[in-house]
Amino acid sequence: MWTNFLVHLADPSFFATVLRVTTPILLAALGALISDRAGVLNIGIEGIMLAGAFTGVVISAFVNSAWAGLLAAVLVGCALASLLFAALRWLRSDLVLSGVALNLACTSATVLLLYALTGDKGMSGSLPSRVLPEVHLSFLKGLTIIGPIFASQHVLTWASLFAVPGVGMLLTYTRFGLRLRAVGENAEAAALAGVHVDRVRFAALAISGAFGGAAGAFLSMGYVSWFAVGMSAGRGFVAIAAEVMGGGGAVGTLLAALVLGSAQTLATNLQGVGLPSELLETLPYIVPVFALVLHRAALLSITPQL
Amino acid sequence: MLDAFRSTAVAFALLLGVAALVLIPLAFTLPDPGRAIATFVLGPFDSVRHIGNIVETATPLMFTGLAVSLMFRAGMFNLGAEGAYFLGAVFAALAILKGGLPAWAVCGGAIVFGGAMGSLACVVPAVLRVRFGASELVTSLMLNYAAMFAGLFVVNYFLRDPNAGAMVSYAFPPAARLAQILPGTRVHIGLVLALAACGAGGVYLFSTRWGYALRVVGANPGYARHLGLPIGRILISVQALAGLIAAAGGAVEMQGLYPRFGWPSLPGAGWDGLVVGILAGNSPLLVPPAALALSYLKVGGDLLSRNYDISAEIVGLIQALVILFATARVRGRLFPFERRRLARQISAETV
Repeated sequence: MWTNFLVHLADPSFFATVLRVTTPILLAALGALISDRAGVLNIGIEGIMLAGAFTGVVISAFVNSAWAGLLAAVLVGCALASLLFAALRWLRSDLVLSGVALNLACTSATVLLLYALTGDKGMSGSLPSRVLPEVHLSFLKGLTIIGPIFASQHVLTWASLFAVPGVGMLLTYTRFGLRLRAVGENAEAAALAGVHVDRVRFAALAISGAFGGAAGAFLSMGYVSWFAVGMSAGRGFVAIAAEVMGGGGAVGTLLAALVLGSAQTLATNLQGVGLPSELLETLPYIVPVFALVLHRAALLSITPQL
Repeated sequence: MLDAFRSTAVAFALLLGVAALVLIPLAFTLPDPGRAIATFVLGPFDSVRHIGNIVETATPLMFTGLAVSLMFRAGMFNLGAEGAYFLGAVFAALAILKGGLPAWAVCGGAIVFGGAMGSLACVVPAVLRVRFGASELVTSLMLNYAAMFAGLFVVNYFLRDPNAGAMVSYAFPPAARLAQILPGTRVHIGLVLALAACGAGGVYLFSTRWGYALRVVGANPGYARHLGLPIGRILISVQALAGLIAAAGGAVEMQGLYPRFGWPSLPGAGWDGLVVGILAGNSPLLVPPAALALSYLKVGGDLLSRNYDISAEIVGLIQALVILFATARVRGRLFPFERRRLARQISAETV
């Protein structure tokens, strides 16, 4: 049984699954990264994912186009993150608690709207929603390891992988990225240097919302082909953990997301071995805690104690 | 204290204002908006049974609201109350069904055992924060889900009744159920425990040395360090206590209202506790009225969903807006009589 399992792990199709499972975490983690570097960590990304998943399904069903669904999901993500910015800026409400409020509102609003649209409080099965396509790269098919992993991956999986250097370069080499990091490091100093702190923070949150919306669209229009209540299932929080583990860089975030995605894939695959499924399902949530602690412990050991 | 009462009055006004903001536009999508609003506003008071519903719904919220208040007073963003509440109920069920306790001890023993085990969901993030500096916000969010699956594992492998259709535990023996105290309702002795806990919490926070140390650590960690307070020990013990309270709340809820354990996932009482704590301004003595106010809305939403084509999740939207407005720091501009207090608060923050 265990040997079967080990053979299974060596199978390239396992890594293909890891990439698929990592996609929503990575997209959301990149969003969280951008917001965190601007000093406004978007805790609401969990709820934004849920809203994106819901919007994607509904719009793709009514407009009859998966791409319209994706676009709508991204726009809704942007809009919700803008609301969060408005609350922070004009109500001066607390960053973490407003994020929690956004999550709560999205959880409730999706149930409310799903019930209003379909009469169902659980799933969107009755809506004829579309899914986003996979990218088939036939020239990769023949290759031994790369072929099975990359030959047919979801379009948003590719988008998430390309977004990693994109976000990295945005943060490191552009004027906007420099300002964003300056605002995150010391908003008052940045303001004195002539940076429009509010504008930068608004942009950072809006971008993070767009990433969150896309991550949600992947869940309901790629990972599965329907919307289920609460389907983000803490992935937004896992993404925040990935971002923190990643140490503030895009590549680090990618690696952390891959680790957490692997944990999730393992949790699903190990169920075939006969271990209790409930205990395995704790794995994707315990691994980030361990990783976070190890990461912090490593940091503590290299920085001088005050 | 007067300040706290005033800001709670404002919070309640906010609650009603926000409820109206969400509800009135929604009601006009219904064929009979006036009656729908009346159902929501007056329905919870129209019978002894409905008033009983308010009180029984408020009971667990008092526990989680008190837990959140204590943790926030200590300056920790630990959101583990949700997991603690769930684990408390699970381990209370375990103690009842597998503990072999004598009949006279099973009620209290289950609450204590459930409380102690459930408390872990708040202690672990606290220890990781103090020892390693890992963000308690992130770890507690993760561990809530881990706690949920661990709890479901216990239920599925040790407590599950194979003869029942769904994944539920064996039925609890009558000795384990908490006594009901108001005829015609399901209000149980847990209400008394909740009120006593809130009272004790108020004394602890405002009239003891430990409560004072906790507030100093929460308000100004640098000053606390300067005083030589054992910050780490204080933070961990406060969160152990808060976890104990939240988890005991789960145990009380389970033994007070349910014949067997059957929660399929996290019931959300921890998030409700967050709203209660915010409404109460993190003052234990104001937690019971805040919990009653929130559960009044919940019962109203429930009645609305039973009588009209609207889902009870409407209350979640109201809660979200309440969090947003109640934590807003521009309230001085919105509510003139609060201005002076806020000005004092803000100047204290900037010093």
